[in-house]
Amino acid sequence: MKKIISIILTMVLIMGLFTGCGGTKTDPAVESGKAAAPSTELNIYMWQQYISDDLIAKFEKENNAKVNLSYMSDNADAITKLTAGGGQEYDLIMTCDAYMESLVDGGYVEKINFDNIPNVKNINEAYWTAKEYCVPYLMNYIYVIYNKDTSPVEIKSYNDLINPALKGQIATIDGARNLFPIALVALGYDPNSTDEKEIAEAYEWLVKYNENVVAYGNAEQNLTNGTASVAFTYDGNASWAMSELGDKNNLVIADFEKDPVQLGFDLYVVPKGAKHVDLAEKFLNYITDPEVMAANLIEYPYSCPNDAAVEAASDTYKNDPARDFDYKQNVFFQEDVGEAITIYNDYYQKLKVGE
Amino acid sequence: MSISRKQKIKKLEDIIGAIYSILIYTILYIPVFVMMAFSFNDQRYNYYWNGFTTQWYSKLFSNSAVIGSLWYSVVIAVLATVISVTIGTIGALGLKKYEFRAKKFINNMLYIPIIVPEIVMAVALLIIFMKIGVALGMGTILIGHCTFCIPYAVVTIKGRISGDGYSLEEASMDLGANRIQTFLNVTLPSIMPGVMSAAFLSFTLSIDDVVMSNMLAGAKNSTLPVLILSMNKSGVTPDVNALTTIMILVIVIAMILNNLIKYALKKRNKAEATI
Repeated sequence: MKKIISIILTMVLIMGLFTGCGGTKTDPAVESGKAAAPSTELNIYMWQQYISDDLIAKFEKENNAKVNLSYMSDNADAITKLTAGGGQEYDLIMTCDAYMESLVDGGYVEKINFDNIPNVKNINEAYWTAKEYCVPYLMNYIYVIYNKDTSPVEIKSYNDLINPALKGQIATIDGARNLFPIALVALGYDPNSTDEKEIAEAYEWLVKYNENVVAYGNAEQNLTNGTASVAFTYDGNASWAMSELGDKNNLVIADFEKDPVQLGFDLYVVPKGAKHVDLAEKFLNYITDPEVMAANLIEYPYSCPNDAAVEAASDTYKNDPARDFDYKQNVFFQEDVGEAITIYNDYYQKLKVGE
Repeated sequence: MSISRKQKIKKLEDIIGAIYSILIYTILYIPVFVMMAFSFNDQRYNYYWNGFTTQWYSKLFSNSAVIGSLWYSVVIAVLATVISVTIGTIGALGLKKYEFRAKKFINNMLYIPIIVPEIVMAVALLIIFMKIGVALGMGTILIGHCTFCIPYAVVTIKGRISGDGYSLEEASMDLGANRIQTFLNVTLPSIMPGVMSAAFLSFTLSIDDVVMSNMLAGAKNSTLPVLILSMNKSGVTPDVNALTTIMILVIVIAMILNNLIKYALKKRNKAEATI
């Protein structure tokens, strides 16, 4: 008898717990947002240090709304939350082009109603994949820059990066799908290869690369303080490093003759079940406005797919040495590699942990 | 002769011991001191030393994101500690006192949340919460933290009480105290050291947890470690250095006070004893 009572009590407690938590979901603001009144809350999940605080504040004021920004530490965070069904917590999620195909196939993202976002006409169609489901925000060339005074090697191709003379000289970004493509390109394969033999060869290449790496992450910091003389990094980070050095800038972009560089897009998607779609659309229209984006580019000088915004941007942005290189057309994109992602992950782990 | 040689060896041992501890402490604390120094650096990205400033401290107190997430972390850690220690104490006492069929099974199951990688637990919880429609937020982070704090609490308290017999409790009930009185006045004080170490352990585990909080945080707030981790892409801002400096100072001061109070109490006890 005692046992039964205790079991029932436990169950009641657990039920109470869940109804208690679930209760917060149906707050009146959310309910009314679905009807006619405009939403007053917008939840965005994106990279930290990637959008101007002032612009967010201005948007909040104009729309009388509160923008809640929460930050991911990795693209995979957003994907895990979306695929676990946590999408409805957010109204806009930032992800990159490589994941779009799976997200659309899996039905994790909503189609976007572009009638409410007239400013998207400013976006260059060439930089827009999965057009119905996303709005491109900024983009990154991932290239090599080096200090022309201290680097022992003049870099003309990815293969120069495994030159033993560069031992302990390279600062690099991390991640399987950033590192393996350059190895595959260096070896003359498709950067999105799904062939295990090719990936294994790329792994061998990266082991040599690894010996030259002095630090993963914070490339701009390691370049300006002299820890590294070569960096494999994003153009926005290169721009920071160059402007930090100012007149003393001795960083140059590697003059690649043949090898393509990776171009990645960060884009906004509306997750399935998002509750404040009206405000999300307003935000997308706001951020694609040329003037707004141009102001954003002062703080975050990345490459931008919004042609009108680039046109309206400051001269500093237009003349930024970090975007002054002439193989901008020779790019490759990160594509969905399907099941082969496990092969990449296995070799990536091996690379990180050793045999 | 032999005495002086012994003394020499002793002296040598002392010197080696001193060098060894200095080395260990230097390695442990150099990063902390560098970090504290950089909280006074007049430069946004901490590339190099640029000049002395206290602007990051004033920015820290006007930057609601960092302070906000600190409070969020502290509230979660305190709640997680209270919940896990309560459940942990009940669990440890129950597992010691009663014999039942699944006892061994439950004992072993306790280690599963400790052994299973945290990310696995985190994603599993995330999927469950999403399936039953619980909104992510403080509640979900709290439940997540309790899942790994409770086993540690039970194991710690159980270890502390495993040798104790029941004579004290029996004596207390013999003298007319009821179960609750016995628990509050006899059992609890006697297991207090175990409860306290479980509490400190739970608090520490909860306040610096990243993996679980990252997965289970809602859209509005995140804990401090999650916020700092997300700064990794572009470099951590010096106001975080300032915050960490303050936190370390608070801990150091608390420890000094703790020792002073202990010392004062000891002295008083001694004085009383001599009277």
